[in-house]
Amino acid sequence: MSSVLVLNLAWQISTLALVALGLAIVFGKLQIMNMAHGEFVMIGAYAPVITSSLGLPAWLQVPVCLLTVALVAFVLERTIIRHLYGRMFDSLLATWGIAILLREAVELIFGRGYQSVTPPISGTISVLGADYPAYRIAVILGILAGFVALFWWNSRSKVATRIKAMVGNPDLAEAVGINTARLSAGAFIFGCCTAGLAGLILAPTIRIEPMMGLDYLIRSFFALVVGGLGTLEGLGIGAGIIAGTQSVLGAVANQTYGYLAVLTLSILFLWLKPDGIRSSSR
Amino acid sequence: MVSVLLPVSLLLAVLLLIPEVFGDFTAYQIGLYLIYGIAAQGIGYLWGKTGVLPLGQALFFGFAAYVTASTLRAGNGLGIDLLLAVTVLAAIAVFAFLLATLIFRGRKESGPYFSLITLALVMIAEQIAGTATPLTGGFNGMSGFPSLGNLDPFGSFYHVIVAATVLVSLLLFILNRLPVNLIAKAVADNEPRLQLLGFPTHVIKGAAFAFSAAIAALAGGLFASHQGIVTPTSMGFGLSAEMVILTAVGGRFHVLGPLIGAVIVGWASAELRDSFPYWELLMALAFILVVLKAPGGIAELLEAAYRRIRPATPGRCAPSIAAPPSKPTDAPGALRFDDVHLQIGVVRILNGVTFDTPSTGIISVIGPNGAGKTSTLNAITGNLQITGGSIALGSRNIHARPPYKALRSGIGRKLQVPSVFFSMNVSENLALAMMANRARLVDLLRPATLHWRSESLTELLKRPAVPLQEDLVAPVAHLPQGHRQFLEYAMTIASEPRVLLLDEPCAGLSPDETALMTELVRTYQAQTGGLVIVIEHDMSIVQAISDKVLVLHLGQVLAFDSFDKVRSNPEVQAVYAGGTK
Repeated sequence: MSSVLVLNLAWQISTLALVALGLAIVFGKLQIMNMAHGEFVMIGAYAPVITSSLGLPAWLQVPVCLLTVALVAFVLERTIIRHLYGRMFDSLLATWGIAILLREAVELIFGRGYQSVTPPISGTISVLGADYPAYRIAVILGILAGFVALFWWNSRSKVATRIKAMVGNPDLAEAVGINTARLSAGAFIFGCCTAGLAGLILAPTIRIEPMMGLDYLIRSFFALVVGGLGTLEGLGIGAGIIAGTQSVLGAVANQTYGYLAVLTLSILFLWLKPDGIRSSSR
Repeated sequence: MVSVLLPVSLLLAVLLLIPEVFGDFTAYQIGLYLIYGIAAQGIGYLWGKTGVLPLGQALFFGFAAYVTASTLRAGNGLGIDLLLAVTVLAAIAVFAFLLATLIFRGRKESGPYFSLITLALVMIAEQIAGTATPLTGGFNGMSGFPSLGNLDPFGSFYHVIVAATVLVSLLLFILNRLPVNLIAKAVADNEPRLQLLGFPTHVIKGAAFAFSAAIAALAGGLFASHQGIVTPTSMGFGLSAEMVILTAVGGRFHVLGPLIGAVIVGWASAELRDSFPYWELLMALAFILVVLKAPGGIAELLEAAYRRIRPATPGRCAPSIAAPPSKPTDAPGALRFDDVHLQIGVVRILNGVTFDTPSTGIISVIGPNGAGKTSTLNAITGNLQITGGSIALGSRNIHARPPYKALRSGIGRKLQVPSVFFSMNVSENLALAMMANRARLVDLLRPATLHWRSESLTELLKRPAVPLQEDLVAPVAHLPQGHRQFLEYAMTIASEPRVLLLDEPCAGLSPDETALMTELVRTYQAQTGGLVIVIEHDMSIVQAISDKVLVLHLGQVLAFDSFDKVRSNPEVQAVYAGGTK
């Protein structure tokens, strides 16, 4: 029994970390408060619906997901987001409009109702004396490996520094040879694609519907509030605390209490420790 | 008064004509749009003035609607209902005030954090409303209760809505003419400056949020009585989002903007929603367009069109009124740094700064760039929290308090890059500075406070060389750098602080202006007998004004002595001659 709880916790934490990763990049690095972040998760989750409705083989889900999300992100970045660098508050408003736009567009295409898809891996594995869905085990391990790789790459790459330079002073960054248009679009699209991927991964375990994104936006945002902006450790800690609190309380009490506890925790953090547990600067 | 009464009576006339011209059913529909419009007016006040965007306003709207529904169902009679309404509005205002004050405490911007917290709150509220069936009727909501005072929702209740709309608009128009309006706008314009003028900005934002929450709740109460049914969507995220859109599209900077937005969008939506499937998409696009291209919304476009017909007459400056004396601050005393350390991340800015000033005189702070001069001032005002040691003024420790308390302990500060309220004109800037450390709470609700002028400020402005008198109605954004320096200086000394901190007051000034500025500083010090600390790079100025010179280097005190002794100090010479020490 308790090992199922532990595995559920690992599932919740790892998926939340993946969802929050994109927001951490776009909000933490690009300083764009992307209110449409959850909608990219939602679009990613619709990828299996797209492939099955077009009759495409299942292995095409990943490329379809990434291509769709990247295309939407690219168009939005070039038309709207690029006017908003350095204007945090306007970015919140404009992406808020984008979020509504994406929800309505998806609703027009797929309808308001719930969709569901089957996981690519079925069956269960016996772990720690409990039978647990093999798909979830594979996802937990995959995300863990992904984060280890990302951590390794991040400690060697200069991209984070270049993004910081670009956001801090775009003109100077251009002058020292940073292609800001490409860098900003690249970072934004990368952030959105991780969200889309998270949506694809979550798709078999949830009900897919146009409004589903909001919940992910809020939980990722709270993970960043608690963990602090700017570092991968902070992201992990934040996701751990938020997903942990919510799933433990959700298991012993109910979902509403879990939600309330997370909200209270975030308000307390904003009040007492406004920079979160880990923060790269300030 | 005309500018208040004219639009309000026009509004009243138009709203009263609607049932006569278009019939009762149209009036019933317009009534609903007006209810949303009232809530949006609250959002407009909060967002348009203070820059705080609430994304969960339906929390208050829906809560009040549920309370109204259950009260009306109980049938206690009109008197008790109204009494309860007032109690609920007050309770909501207190809750909103505490929430916002708590979150904004320790921040100097409005940022996205608050908006997302309100969004999360409304999502939880919707969930609770949908599941707590015994209390709220669950998913089907509450219905089957009479309307307030048993008025007909399709008939006479419309006049209740009109009364509420007109009263809220009147209140907002009146607030626009009071000092609180200027203060609210100053929060969005330049929060750090407002804090240094002694205003606790988190409390101001909390009050504005409480006000907007109470307005939303008022609208929610009307809604329940008007519609006869309350469901979780009345307390939901969707409604909150819609209210923000109404506010943005209608125009958040104008009292009537959100009302216009609510009626236009509501009417168009009712006409088009069913026949035109892309309606919601269109609304989202319109919202994005407004954010990017026309932040003032429809109201601003209307006003621009009106101004083309009737250009605005430049306002005359009303005669000024003698300001009350500034509130007494702590007795002046010596400023004492004891082993002060300041570290941000891995950067160590101050490494054990220790010095002890006299309680009167002019002290110049010099040192190479990066020596920690500005950070020393930031530590004194509380803009940066020190990580070790202590700072005392007289007998009191002052290092662990927020910036807005600095002025209360007698410390005024001019920042390095002139920091004034850029969206306002010169006299508004000066009016805010005159309120600093003088205005009591009631003064903020009196229009006369806007015309306060202290003797010393009048004297300063009267000097022919000070370039502010002719600029009084000019927007600050158009002022040249030198004029801004004098404006910020005037604002800083308006409250007559005993300790004056000036960060490069002569930067960007011509030689004549520099001479004037140094003379002003010297005169101020002589008149108040207080302490002035100046950061300055120009050695001729330093020599001319300083009683003592503090030399900082690499976050430590290199020398603290008279100008001549500092000049002959070999260590100081090494630093300034480019030596590495």
